[in-house]
Amino acid sequence: MADPLESGDDIFDTLRKGVDPKLQAEKDRIRNEREYAHYEKTQRRLGELIQNNSTLPTTISSIRILGASNTRKSFLERIFNPILSVNQDRPYTLAEAIREVSAGADKLHRLDIFHEPISIFIDRPAKTDPSTTPTDIDFYLSVREKARILIKTGTSAGNGEGEAYTNVQLRNMFGGAESLSLNASLGTRTRSAYQANFESPILSNPDLRWEIGGIASSTQKSWASHEEVLKGGWTKLRWMAQGGGRHELGYNGIWRQITGLASNASPTIRNDAGDSVKSSIQHTWVKERRDNPMLPTRGYLNKTTVELAGWGPLQGDVGFGKAEVEAQGAIPIPIPGVKGESGVSLTANVRAGLLYPLPLGLESEAKPSRINDRFGLGGPTDVRGFRLSGLGPHDGSDAVGGDVYAAGSANLLFPIPGVPLDRPFRFQTFLTGGRLLALKKLKNGGTNSENVRQVVGSTIAELSNGLPSIAAGFGLIYAHSIARFELNFSLPLVQRSGEDARKGLQFGIGINMM
Amino acid sequence: MSQDADATPEEKQKPRAKAQIKHSSWSWFATPQPIKHLFDKFPLEIYSENELPQRTAYERDPHALYVFTTNDGARAGAPSFNPGCLKWQAYLKFRNFPFITKSSNNHASPTGALPFLLPASSSSTSVEAPPSPVPSNRIQRWTRDVREKRIADSKSSNLGNKEAKQGEAQPETRASTEEATASSDIWDIRYEAYMSLLDHRIRNAYLYSLYLSPPNFDAIAFPLYIAPSTTNTLVRITISHQLRAAAEAELLKQSSRIDVEAIYQESEKAFAALSDLLGDDEYYFKEKKPGLFDASVFAYTNLLLDKGLGWRDTRMVNGLRCHPNLVAHQKKLKKAYF
Repeated sequence: MADPLESGDDIFDTLRKGVDPKLQAEKDRIRNEREYAHYEKTQRRLGELIQNNSTLPTTISSIRILGASNTRKSFLERIFNPILSVNQDRPYTLAEAIREVSAGADKLHRLDIFHEPISIFIDRPAKTDPSTTPTDIDFYLSVREKARILIKTGTSAGNGEGEAYTNVQLRNMFGGAESLSLNASLGTRTRSAYQANFESPILSNPDLRWEIGGIASSTQKSWASHEEVLKGGWTKLRWMAQGGGRHELGYNGIWRQITGLASNASPTIRNDAGDSVKSSIQHTWVKERRDNPMLPTRGYLNKTTVELAGWGPLQGDVGFGKAEVEAQGAIPIPIPGVKGESGVSLTANVRAGLLYPLPLGLESEAKPSRINDRFGLGGPTDVRGFRLSGLGPHDGSDAVGGDVYAAGSANLLFPIPGVPLDRPFRFQTFLTGGRLLALKKLKNGGTNSENVRQVVGSTIAELSNGLPSIAAGFGLIYAHSIARFELNFSLPLVQRSGEDARKGLQFGIGINMM
Repeated sequence: MSQDADATPEEKQKPRAKAQIKHSSWSWFATPQPIKHLFDKFPLEIYSENELPQRTAYERDPHALYVFTTNDGARAGAPSFNPGCLKWQAYLKFRNFPFITKSSNNHASPTGALPFLLPASSSSTSVEAPPSPVPSNRIQRWTRDVREKRIADSKSSNLGNKEAKQGEAQPETRASTEEATASSDIWDIRYEAYMSLLDHRIRNAYLYSLYLSPPNFDAIAFPLYIAPSTTNTLVRITISHQLRAAAEAELLKQSSRIDVEAIYQESEKAFAALSDLLGDDEYYFKEKKPGLFDASVFAYTNLLLDKGLGWRDTRMVNGLRCHPNLVAHQKKLKKAYF
């Protein structure tokens, strides 16, 4: 190992001077390069070795997991037992054996109970052991378990809201990658929220999980002059489909209370005040193909949600079928004369939803929708340039929500001059619009299925009557890894009387922005 | 998931027109005139407002009194099954005040308890801010204000509105005599004393007998107050529990323990005192027309004497039936006004 510093005459002088940062950087670089080269060489050597022996017949006699002291043996066996040669009807080649074990290690990784990386070692059993065959090899997986208890507490302020929270997460509770998460927060807008959920993989499969949870919360909904208190629970099954889509199928039972009305709450809100129980089954399908969900430049996202409440054996106090679809696509736009990525991209979004009233249980007439179940539209995460729930029917100053909506937006993203492309900042211009409508009032009274179908049909037709409510603007995006922040300037172009548009600056934070 | 950072609840509650002006010209950033003119050009197109949802009450013309009642009862204007609501419902009826009743619950009320009155909205569009609700303790004053305003209006417009006066004249004179009498301190003290009989002794016994006496709770309170709010059994049990706990807490406010016998005896004494006060008169305080005090008595007697409710624990009902003049008072009012 040659040291670049050794060229100096007096070692003490050099030491006294301290380390020249440039020299230090250079030293680090050389060391890194050397290490990298070394690593590459070993990798290559290993690769060649495996390549040369890839067709070598191999039997996996044992797989040992080192360091998984808190994980149940039976849980790990379910992942690795099927791979063992005892359970296979033909021998592996070496390459196959390594591939199978790596797939097992990948499953371990996705269970989210072990630290990265999970190292795999191969060994040959001692020839002296009479029970071994010459083709036997042993695998060793070295893992390090993640902390089993994680407690986070904190306070946050901003957005006209102060909040204090505690989050306790118990990981790998019973040694089978089960997790329990408890959340408690107190704030000014979300007055209080307590949530607990337990999740466990089924049959050691990280792609098939079962979850059960409960919530008790109280949220101020100032745009509709009330406070919503929720108490309830859910259970759901989550799985990955072959094509890469994520599915969720679950049951929700929630007791909702509309209470704490503002003194100037509108009659619509006063009529909806009180208790209702929603008992529903829900299915969500998501296909995520965007390169970066917070700042997509290429790819697409498709999502559908279907919910069925109160119908047949579900009971409860509200009956409806609810469907929502969402599609987002992003394409990079090449600029002539700029090589490689130009950093300019176009994203387009479409969202639509329908709330279809259904008769409760065995009743014959459907009940009209309540504010808890209707859609809200508008705000910095969907139709920008409008206030939160600013679109759709308004009674006085209350956004009372609608049963049918369609919204879309087109955003053109530019890099900010002087800011490297890989930094999460962009400049955007956007055009966004949408319509949110309540089902029309029934003319001849009865809400039998035929009448409801007609009303839904004519309300959907109404969506295309005239231009949608539209706003346009420009602004800055900062895409943090967990949320996207935007500061936009916008003006409304088209709106309905009573809708709550916003002229000027608007700040938004969102996970799933339109 | 998302937050509109700049819209604080306070701003939201202001009428829309104001809020928009406020935001297009920020206080710390004085918008230059040309930009303000430019802003005022937007939106370029305003369509008519969106229709309100199906559940929204469309008819906003008559004043609406939100009370505990069934949906059918609300349409028919039947007496409420809650004494606090029935008191004001009866009072407004005695005053010939035009109003409709709406079936509601405590969550809808600005004070957290029914009844409250939602004045008729003058505008036909939903965009206008709705009128503020009038809580029960201000209903009396509000009716007086409304009448005075109407009288003043009819006087200023010299049109011959005889019909208005015909309807109004009588109650108006009554109201003024009541006020004249009210000025006397002795009357005031007597009135307060008798009112507190109703507000404490009779109310306590009523609370106990309805919520804490299990046969009555199952037969009356449960089907009337709890069953309509939800069909879910678990939630019903929770609400039942909350309701009983609230009634118990209310009784424990006045004494350290709940002495059932004492509560019932007090109510029997109170009925006797009310019966003596009424004597052979038609209405309380020798008035020609029933007033607020008659309404307050009627609120309890009508419920206790209502055979349709099905009182199972009839201790309190029996206490009332001993006084034929109170029973007759209830019958007469029921027949004349409901």
